[in-house]
Amino acid sequence: MPEYAHPDVLVSTEWVAEHLTDPNVRIVESDEDRALYVQGHVPGAVEIDWQTDLQDPVQRDYIDREAFERLCADRGISDDTTVVFYGDKNNWWACYAFWVFKLYGHENCRIMNGGRKRWELDGRPWSTERVSYPRANYRAKEQDPAVRALRDEVLKHQKAGKQLLDVRSPEEYRGERMHMPDYPNEGAVRGGHIPGAVNVPWPMNCNDDGTFKTAKELEKLYIKELKMKRRSPTIAYCRIGERSSLTWFVLKYLLGFGNVRNYDGSWLEWGNCVRVPIAKGGEPGGSEAHLAAGPQVAAESTAVEAAEGRPEDAGTPTAGG
Amino acid sequence: MADVRSRLEQVVAEFADLDGREKLEMLVDYAAGLPPLPAAYEARKAAAEGRIHECQTPVFMWMESTLDGAASLVADVAPEAPTVKGFVAILAGAVAGRPAAEVADIPDDLIERLGLADVLGILRTRGLRAITARVKRGFGG
Repeated sequence: MPEYAHPDVLVSTEWVAEHLTDPNVRIVESDEDRALYVQGHVPGAVEIDWQTDLQDPVQRDYIDREAFERLCADRGISDDTTVVFYGDKNNWWACYAFWVFKLYGHENCRIMNGGRKRWELDGRPWSTERVSYPRANYRAKEQDPAVRALRDEVLKHQKAGKQLLDVRSPEEYRGERMHMPDYPNEGAVRGGHIPGAVNVPWPMNCNDDGTFKTAKELEKLYIKELKMKRRSPTIAYCRIGERSSLTWFVLKYLLGFGNVRNYDGSWLEWGNCVRVPIAKGGEPGGSEAHLAAGPQVAAESTAVEAAEGRPEDAGTPTAGG
Repeated sequence: MADVRSRLEQVVAEFADLDGREKLEMLVDYAAGLPPLPAAYEARKAAAEGRIHECQTPVFMWMESTLDGAASLVADVAPEAPTVKGFVAILAGAVAGRPAAEVADIPDDLIERLGLADVLGILRTRGLRAITARVKRGFGG
């Protein structure tokens, strides 16, 4: 029975229950719905919100290094604290927060397998207490380019025909839908996928109770069926980079991929870019897939649609995706 | 009986001096007060009727009016979405028993007035805005 490549990054609810008051451990909840934390959280857990805490309020980017240091210090997290993330929805946002902590080089990060759902199913207690810790000292490292892929890097990666994973729903991948099911129209003017990307919708990584699938099941999916190579540079993306941070976590820590990055710009950037290649339909398509339409035509029609404003594309989701 | 506008003004006043955490607590309180879905609606819910597709978690709403024109917002929101549930409960409480025509008085910027825009962030507030629009449209507002 194969083991996860880095089994230490995953902890059980039992482990968390035993470390609730461990001064070297900080438990962090990240949710789609912030009120869940208020309604009841793991005793002693602090909240870090992906949107209001981790995103820069002005430009589309993460908070800078100084702001990240302030955030950690405020939550009582030091450089050497073991931070355990958990949350709703199969740990989507927990993986996203984990990824941002890795972006700033935080060493000891863990995910509580199964998140809120498993904690509830295991009959463990919720707390509504307000949690605060003495301010800690935190020195963040520079952003680690090994975990994050930016647009131009993705373009190069795509042209070189390297491993690309699209973790959105099949409808989004094929270009029939410009948003994920139930998150209508979050602002991409083009539908489809990055040519060459294979489609592995992110829920395929998880069981119904929110835990990750076994190493054997994950290996079967990514290595045996998709013939992906652990040594090959890989980039994962979705619509805003949070579903793909879960897949990034799976590839890097559970399967041991050596070089995998999350493209957080994802479809919300790519599907709005002028003159980037796009493939439609269920096949990955090669770098030649976009040439049929011609880059000039694509560029012009994108500009026209953007100018028209298309109010129905303005977007009305509850959260990101 | 207070009208829709003044009921909502009262809610806005209730939220006014709360910090972010307290606002979320208040939403959780409102969420707990949303009446359970009447049995008569269960079959309609099972048929996915009334589903609000703008929302990521399952949200069902029916905008009903009695013969004398009194509005009633019947809703069911999954427990894993307390923010949405609390917001729907506020709207349901505001319109209950009032003439449907008054539903148009729900301010479009209710989320901002409640001070929730900064607490929730831009992506989450879009879903709540969609709910407000749907309720107003549903009552012909």
